[in-house]
Amino acid sequence: MLQAIFTAFFGLAAIWFAVVVFRTHSMVRSALALLFSQAAIGGMFLAMQTEFLGVLQIMMMATEMAIMTIFMVMYMMDPGGLGAMEMTHQKRASQVAGALGALAALAVAFFTSWGPITPEVRPAQQVHDLGIEIMERSMLIFETAGVTILTVMVAATAIAIMRRDEE
Amino acid sequence: MTTLILALAVGAVLFGIGLYGALSQTNLVMILMGVEVMLGGAMVNLVAFWRFLHPEAYSGQMFVLIVMTVMALEMAVGFSIATGRFRAKGSVEMEEAQDLKG
Repeated sequence: MLQAIFTAFFGLAAIWFAVVVFRTHSMVRSALALLFSQAAIGGMFLAMQTEFLGVLQIMMMATEMAIMTIFMVMYMMDPGGLGAMEMTHQKRASQVAGALGALAALAVAFFTSWGPITPEVRPAQQVHDLGIEIMERSMLIFETAGVTILTVMVAATAIAIMRRDEE
Repeated sequence: MTTLILALAVGAVLFGIGLYGALSQTNLVMILMGVEVMLGGAMVNLVAFWRFLHPEAYSGQMFVLIVMTVMALEMAVGFSIATGRFRAKGSVEMEEAQDLKG
C-alpha cells in the first residue's frame, strides 16, 4: 500500500513537472522542471525498490540538466521568457498525436493481463546481482555501450568545431 | 497489481507529453527535452516490468542502464548539432533549418 502511495506521488510529480516544461516561457524554469520531472522518476524507481537505478537516475539527471540549462541560456533567443515568444508550431496536430500516443499506451496498460505479480524483492542482493549480470551475461552489451559513448564524444566534438568554408 | 498499473499509466502519460513536446516545439533544445520526457516514460515502464513481473531477470535493469546511456548520448549529439547550427546560422530554430529540403 505504502509503495503504491509513494509511486503515485512521485508519478504525479513527474507528470506535473513534465507539463511545466512545455508551458513555461522561461528556459531556465523549463530546464529545472525537466530536472524535477526526471528526479521524480528516480523517486519512483526508489519507491519500486530499484535503489541502484533510482540513485543513478537522480545523479545523472542533476548533472545533465545543469548542463542543459547552460546550453538553453546560450542558444535561446529569449531565455528569460520575458518577451513571451511563441516557440511552438503545428500545436493541434501535436496535441492529437500526444493524446493518441498516451491513450494507446494506457489502453495496453489497463487491458493487458500481466500475469502473477512478485510481491517482494531483495534490495540488499540487487547491486550484487546486477554487477554479476553486467560482468557476465551482459558484458558485451556493456562494453558496446562504453565504446559507443567514446565514439559519440569524438563525433559530437567534431560536429561542434567543424570548419566551414566561409571561415 | 495496483502499483504496476499505476507505474505503467505514469509511463504512458509521460510518453504522450514528451511526444507532444517533441512535435510542437520549434527550438532544437526544446525538441530534445521532449525526447527526454518520452525516454523517461519508457524507463518507468521498464523498471515496473522488472520489479513486478521478472525481478529475477537482471537484464531488465540492464535495459534501463542502456536507455540512460541513450539519453545521455542523444543530449550530446543534439547539443553538438545545436552548437554547429548556431555557429553557422546564429539560431537553433528548426523552422529555419530547411537547407536540405528539396
